[in-house]
Amino acid sequence: MLAIKFLIPEIFLSISIFSLLMIGVFIKNSFEIIYRLSLFVIILIILIILSGDSESIKIFSESFTIDRFSLYSKILILISTFFVLLMSKKYIVDIKNNKFEYPIIILLSILGMFIMVSSNDLILFYMGLELQSLALYILASIDRDNIKSSEAGVKYFVLSALSSGLLLYGCSLIYGFTGSTNFEEIANSKDFNVGTIFGMVFILVGLAFKVSAVPFHMWTPDVYQGSPTSVTSFFSVVPKAAGIAIFIKFMYLPFRDVLNQWQYILVFMSIASMILGAVAAIGQTNIKRLMAYSSIGHIGYAIAGIAAGTENGFKSTLIYISIYIVMNIGAFACILLMKRDGKYVEEIEELSGVSKNHPMMSFGLLIILFSLAGIPPLAGFFAKFYIFMAVIESEMYTLAIIGLVTTVLSAFYYIRIIKIMYFDEPKKPFEKFVDYKIHGPIVLSCVLLVSFFIYPSILNEIVSNISIF
Amino acid sequence: MIEIGLGHYLTLGAVIFSLGTLGIFLNRKNVIVILMSVELILLAVNINLVSFSIYLQDISGQIFTMLILTVAAAEAAIGLAIIVAYYRNKGSIRVEEIDEMKG
Amino acid sequence: MFFDFLLEYLSIAIFLFIALALSIGFIAVNFAFSPKNPDPEKLSAYECGFEAFDSARSEFDVRFYLVAILFIIFDLEIAFLFPWSVSLGNIGLLGFYSMMIFLFILTIGFIYEWKKGALEWE
Repeated sequence: MLAIKFLIPEIFLSISIFSLLMIGVFIKNSFEIIYRLSLFVIILIILIILSGDSESIKIFSESFTIDRFSLYSKILILISTFFVLLMSKKYIVDIKNNKFEYPIIILLSILGMFIMVSSNDLILFYMGLELQSLALYILASIDRDNIKSSEAGVKYFVLSALSSGLLLYGCSLIYGFTGSTNFEEIANSKDFNVGTIFGMVFILVGLAFKVSAVPFHMWTPDVYQGSPTSVTSFFSVVPKAAGIAIFIKFMYLPFRDVLNQWQYILVFMSIASMILGAVAAIGQTNIKRLMAYSSIGHIGYAIAGIAAGTENGFKSTLIYISIYIVMNIGAFACILLMKRDGKYVEEIEELSGVSKNHPMMSFGLLIILFSLAGIPPLAGFFAKFYIFMAVIESEMYTLAIIGLVTTVLSAFYYIRIIKIMYFDEPKKPFEKFVDYKIHGPIVLSCVLLVSFFIYPSILNEIVSNISIF
Repeated sequence: MIEIGLGHYLTLGAVIFSLGTLGIFLNRKNVIVILMSVELILLAVNINLVSFSIYLQDISGQIFTMLILTVAAAEAAIGLAIIVAYYRNKGSIRVEEIDEMKG
Repeated sequence: MFFDFLLEYLSIAIFLFIALALSIGFIAVNFAFSPKNPDPEKLSAYECGFEAFDSARSEFDVRFYLVAILFIIFDLEIAFLFPWSVSLGNIGLLGFYSMMIFLFILTIGFIYEWKKGALEWE
């Protein structure tokens, strides 16, 4: 029973979900109170995790690990969820989608991610993954009277269910050929034969679906465009962090001894994602679709770090994904400001000449877009720098060169938006309002991105204590 | 002469799995069929897990199967609910007509 | 060898045979001895004494689906309750309370759907 005390964040989260659900269903018009309470719950869990000790421990017959890696991922998930929830308040009220279930489903998906990043066992991993995905299906179609949202839900459901199936088939093969579902024991079973390799490839395909890496990215643009913008901002940040974390864990724990088998698959995925992210985004007119391709490209860089196969590799990926979260939260906060005549607009051309009417917002978006493009001295540059350092250390020069080329290519479409914002004919101004819940994250994100170069090794120092082995 | 062993079960599992995957990609008519194909895939996994579990004399495969059965039901329920919501907006669940967004 | 293998299924084969023979027998007896004097009223589709309103293969109410969806979830708790109840002697208090927590979570879901009005037909 002693093991329970290590589970306090998860238990607290589940109890709060149940209580919130009951409060929500028994009190009329409870969106406001549930919304505030869930923000409060998230802050409390961050405090609980930070105040606990960070020793590595495995509980429940070694199926659940608490170590610095899982704690770091959980903090990342919590902080990004906090900001996404914070800034999406006005949007969901405006589109009349203020159902009290919305924050609760987000909390449920976080619970799934918690279980997933902490799992040390195929069964537990699958349960966490499914809890996360089931909540995400509902989130995608939460605006159920809107045809685009429900279509996004159908598409996301079908492809994600398929990917869960593939991943599960891989799990069954791994279990059969190694005789265990525990990550440690899978890693220690010396005879990696064809069956196990097959299983590993299936699991890789499933994971690639979840983080939307090419060639399994096809759901991303449609789901990003169709879902309400608040949900899109959640999709582009939180499940990505959790997915990359579990990706790292799979590659470096159960499959650490077959590096030569998965390395080339990952290199291929990474190159393909970077190229597609850079090329396909150029012709987009919808800014949410553009962000979808941009996130595919960024996932490509993150996977390049994993593909390096070294300790520095996965650490650089963790740094990359942390900075990516900061940039994307800022970018989506700006998109949530694009409201004209009571309607939210999503086309890129609506931004034309916006700098004349909204100088502060466009300056913020300028910084964020430069950072997404990886222009020094902003944080996005350092993120890419660490990735390329790790890749070059492993002597994968082709990957590094292609990565550099696609960075230049992708800078083109980010800068095109800046050109539209600053040099095109101004349109009617957006609605003017000051909401600290949206402007706060933009300012915070810009400050973090700009001031990162003062002390660029800060993330490095946090990450350097993490090890999975 | 006929000894039904692990290989046969795995083949059965692989065949059902391929049927499910093909069902998703080749089906052009109805989203419900896709839902059924997903269930087929999960059942193929269950066959695999149970036969491995017997072969290895290890119970965890069967536990995994129970959990997958439950999750599959929850997934089917959510899938059906999403499809109902979609049908209310669109008035059709033909796969070819799910094309509001392209690009 | 091959025969031995099939012999294991003998009881099932006998069972199937008896079931088949019985059901065919009943239908055949029915056909042989039932009175047959058809008239148009008897042959028409029966719908509470009225003429048939429309095709029997029309869409039916989506609420049936919703009830079925809600049922699936609660149906499956049985899949956990059976193994739990047969092994209750071996798993001790921890096993007992785990199931109680599971049932508690299900109850939360049930209260939610009840208060939401998902169980009401109108």
